[in-house]
Amino acid sequence: MPPKARKPGAPLDNAPIADHKKHAEEVLADEDYKKKPANYQDRNDEAKP
Amino acid sequence: MTYRPAFRKQGDGSRYQWVNCNCASHAMASDRHRRGVDPRNHHGWKPTPKEVRDRIIAVYHDYNGTSLDQNDVAVQHLYKVDMLIRYNIPWRSFKSLIISGRGAVVPIQYSVIAPTRFDASPGFTGGHGIYVNERRRSDGAFLVYDPLADHRRSGIPQGPQWWPASLLRRAAQAYPGTNTGCIHASFTRDTEV
Repeated sequence: MPPKARKPGAPLDNAPIADHKKHAEEVLADEDYKKKPANYQDRNDEAKP
Repeated sequence: MTYRPAFRKQGDGSRYQWVNCNCASHAMASDRHRRGVDPRNHHGWKPTPKEVRDRIIAVYHDYNGTSLDQNDVAVQHLYKVDMLIRYNIPWRSFKSLIISGRGAVVPIQYSVIAPTRFDASPGFTGGHGIYVNERRRSDGAFLVYDPLADHRRSGIPQGPQWWPASLLRRAAQAYPGTNTGCIHASFTRDTEV
């Protein structure tokens, strides 16, 4: 099985805004981030008044 | 300047107020997503936690804590807002998405917030939902809308607060089901194009 491709890193904080928008599109399109983890807590808990 | 939605507290006197953090956070995210513009349908505007909760009850008959998915379905119906739910994204990518012009609902573990001055629910240490609107360039802090921050008594913060990045990061990474260095979040559209 070939090694999984390394994901592109996020731009530096002070990078041009266009770089952040490009990275955002890449992250949102990545199917890996759409998978809900098995041990994910699906619901919030009850807070204290 | 980044659009700032109206703050919505979850403690609004409605029946399920103390389990409505995700509903309140999604109400604020919906305001941001639409930049305050009313979709002009037969639902209310601006978004409220109660209206989101009522829709979840109508669809799922659910009266407890809510999920990102349930809230996404509700705000699509009510406000034509399509949130983008993503799991285990690296912290640096989350930061980049906020810088790029998106808001986000973020699940956090409140036990991390409890010992700090941002604690808005003394004694609560469980899973919670907050809305993150923007990042401040000067110090990297995030403008967090904690729906519990309603100053209902002395010592409880009121409205949006600038949380240090390290605090938001630790609280989000402590949420169950996160991989090392990653967090979960549900994003608005890019409103700053």
